[in-house]
Amino acid sequence: MLSYKLEKNHGIILSKASLGLDVSGPVASHVFVSHAHADHLPRDRKMSVIATPATAALMRQRGFRGEVMELPFGETLDLERCSITLYPAGHILGSAMAGIDTEEGHVLYTGDYKNPPSPATEGFDVPETTNYFITEATFPLPIYKWKPHEVLFSDICAFAADSINDEAIPIFLCYNLGKAQEVMYALKDSGLSVQIHGAGYELCKIYESFGIPLGTYEKYDRDTLKTGKVLITPSSSLEQPMVRNIRRKRVAYVSGWATHEARRTQLTVDKLIPLSDHIDFFELIKLCRKLTPDMVYITHTPNPAVVEHYLANEGIAAMPLNLEVRDDS
Amino acid sequence: MTAEKDETKNTDNLADSLGKESFHHFCMVIQQIAETRGSLAKARLFASYIKTLSHNRSIQLAAQFAGEGAFSNVSGRRVSAGHRTVAVAAASFCEIDYDLVFKACRTATGSASETIEKLMENLPAAISKRKPSLRSLEEAELLFSHLEKERTRDGKHQLLQQIWSEMTSLEIKYFIRIMGQGSLRIGFESKSIINALATAFAKEPEEVRYAHMITGSLASTAKLCKEDRLEEARFQLFQPIAFMLASPIESRSIEDISAYIAEEKFDGMRCQLHANSQNVKLFSRDLNDITNSFPDLAANYKTKNLPDTVLDGEICVFKSDKIQPFQLLQKRMGLKKPSSVIIAKHPVIFIAYDLLYYSGKALFDHTLQTRRQHLHKLAESFSISVSKQFPVADTSDVERLFDRALAFGNEGLMLKHKQSTYEYGQRRKSWLKVKKPGGSLDTVIMYAHAGSGKRGGTYSDFTLGISVKADERYEEEFIPIGKAYGGYTDEELKKLNRAMKPLIVDRFGPTYSLKPGIVVEIEFDDIQINKRTKAGYTLRFPRFKAIRWDLSPADADTLKDVEQLYSQKLNRQIESQQRHQSFITY
Repeated sequence: MLSYKLEKNHGIILSKASLGLDVSGPVASHVFVSHAHADHLPRDRKMSVIATPATAALMRQRGFRGEVMELPFGETLDLERCSITLYPAGHILGSAMAGIDTEEGHVLYTGDYKNPPSPATEGFDVPETTNYFITEATFPLPIYKWKPHEVLFSDICAFAADSINDEAIPIFLCYNLGKAQEVMYALKDSGLSVQIHGAGYELCKIYESFGIPLGTYEKYDRDTLKTGKVLITPSSSLEQPMVRNIRRKRVAYVSGWATHEARRTQLTVDKLIPLSDHIDFFELIKLCRKLTPDMVYITHTPNPAVVEHYLANEGIAAMPLNLEVRDDS
Repeated sequence: MTAEKDETKNTDNLADSLGKESFHHFCMVIQQIAETRGSLAKARLFASYIKTLSHNRSIQLAAQFAGEGAFSNVSGRRVSAGHRTVAVAAASFCEIDYDLVFKACRTATGSASETIEKLMENLPAAISKRKPSLRSLEEAELLFSHLEKERTRDGKHQLLQQIWSEMTSLEIKYFIRIMGQGSLRIGFESKSIINALATAFAKEPEEVRYAHMITGSLASTAKLCKEDRLEEARFQLFQPIAFMLASPIESRSIEDISAYIAEEKFDGMRCQLHANSQNVKLFSRDLNDITNSFPDLAANYKTKNLPDTVLDGEICVFKSDKIQPFQLLQKRMGLKKPSSVIIAKHPVIFIAYDLLYYSGKALFDHTLQTRRQHLHKLAESFSISVSKQFPVADTSDVERLFDRALAFGNEGLMLKHKQSTYEYGQRRKSWLKVKKPGGSLDTVIMYAHAGSGKRGGTYSDFTLGISVKADERYEEEFIPIGKAYGGYTDEELKKLNRAMKPLIVDRFGPTYSLKPGIVVEIEFDDIQINKRTKAGYTLRFPRFKAIRWDLSPADADTLKDVEQLYSQKLNRQIESQQRHQSFITY
């Protein structure tokens, strides 16, 4: 069995390997950060961490001041009590899964991931096999099966074009990091000009410097946002003057959660676009089957029971690592 | 994936032969309406769809499926397949575990039909079993009839699976929703459907609305529109028409209170009484025939030899010159054949407050004042009890009359606009009700249930408990007294969802069992005896009044408190009608 400790509401510590995975502070000899979303970043902003170069750049932009040992995909870093190789996770730019060789066997830690990968990332890759598969399961039910990117991307383009035809400003509600750039990537060949929320704007530069094209865009500016342009902003701005004061608009909510019809009335939006940056239930089971792990540990999930049940049918042992409610032990 | 594509291709080919009259096409239009914002835009979509339908029967069924359900409202028919039957049949069709997998999925979406649609679309087992084929709207109706005729749960289970094996996932979703009778929950209700019909057939919305009131059915209304026979929508004696309803006064601002007349709001059961010299029929608010429950009343009205007459009014238990509490009327409601003992013990009267039809003449279009003049004349000649009306000049009059109404055993006051015509449904400010909550209790949250529909994804329904700690009849500390799902703000609900997390002890599908920890002050309209519950009582319309973060479970009210409240209500001092009259009997 793998020896590990859990942090409440944060990461996992592989005790024997003395490696922290998306942990909150310097709780092990080394700490790996899978990607630059806030819930995976250390709260301690001055510690030393291991991450991909792109994640390092995004972290610094988001206020991280510590030292980052930059480890490109596919290269192996030998540490005192383990060695670590990063695989592209297909979630956002820089997102990585860690393959870790330890004295207890091989561990694959996913962070957040998506397969087939988002085209606005470095892609997706995994080792042939692993002993311990630590996987997120944000969408752990058979009601979740994502449509192909091409279908959703053409929905995005059609929504923008139709809104502009009706002389309304299309607004895409997206996270500032990841989803915003994926929507811009989808629109890059449409010839439309995008305005993006200030916090997301700075991150776009980093995407481009790592070779992801995002089309024509500028920072959100109330005075120049006119019919014909597209606005990309987080859903929190729906109730703020920034969005409220736009008279003619069409609002699309872009998220895996948009697959739930209830979101339509909860958010009062015109369109739900279920574009997720997480793996869906079916791909998750398929991946577990491929990796033939001795044990699957399920994290970041509202409901591990169904995944466990389906894995058991496949003859694969699984158990939840409940980071949300479990205390340190 | 390939199976999904085949499915669409298959139905596309068939669509050529069946055209736009298919059930599948109906479902696609409904889905488009669901995805469209704004009631005008929704109505426009439906109107242009209706215009593409050529068969009269298709038009009728499209309106019926969109707004009424599998069968017309007035038919009294229902498919009657329970939620559980449908869900279990779907789980077994998709070859998934009902308790473990299906329930988790339904909790996540907040909707059984949406869950089933997705499972049908995603799961290989469900895809391979389905060979969608097109059917007309009439054929879809036939399927509902087959289901209705199937009496056993097993039979319904089998039949549902057979039906689904020939449908797309979208058809299955709406087939299930239509089966449930009522609105499709896509923000497109009767009112919008009526507007859509008016647009499609270039009629006045008011004309269509009137036809709907008379026929009580969207299907018949659509047919009359299509056949250009709206003017034939005529009232028929012994066919109930939809009731006019009151809005709570709190939600309305009133400019001129003196334009209203007050009546006491009786603590009874709303009833539409149809009578002539041969026959008498009583209808409840949901348009069911309740004549058999009140044979004494029917017999009494038969002896009056009325000309063709329809009265709107209230049935109350009336004994020793007093209007008795609703709790006593409850003993007679729902009895198909009440014994003479029960009838003698709880004698009822009918108090009329409106006259809708008299001697071949419909009066809906007349003002309240005019209808009341006719009502009084009729009442004098035939000895009918009629509610008393009181003029109001200002709000202090309302308060004074309200207090007096309560003292005489009534629920509160009704304010009716003197110039209003009789229109079904809640019509803005024409009728207003003034009521006070029946009481309040401090309770603890025992269970939290996942919300559905708009509240899908949050825990929004709560089972509330009262203390029986010191009660030798029970072993538990708390027992449920009611379930509330409203009265809180979105912010409060969020806070509540956070606060309940550390209290979770168990989970059953969409339900969390919670340690007693959160105290909620609830208010309710009334308390009734209900032997089937653990507490022996149920509350009418319980809702949150305040979340009492300042109280602990030890402060919760007890079953003894509930019993006391009930007996206070039952035995409350009701003033005799000899002192003041809530109604007049000529």
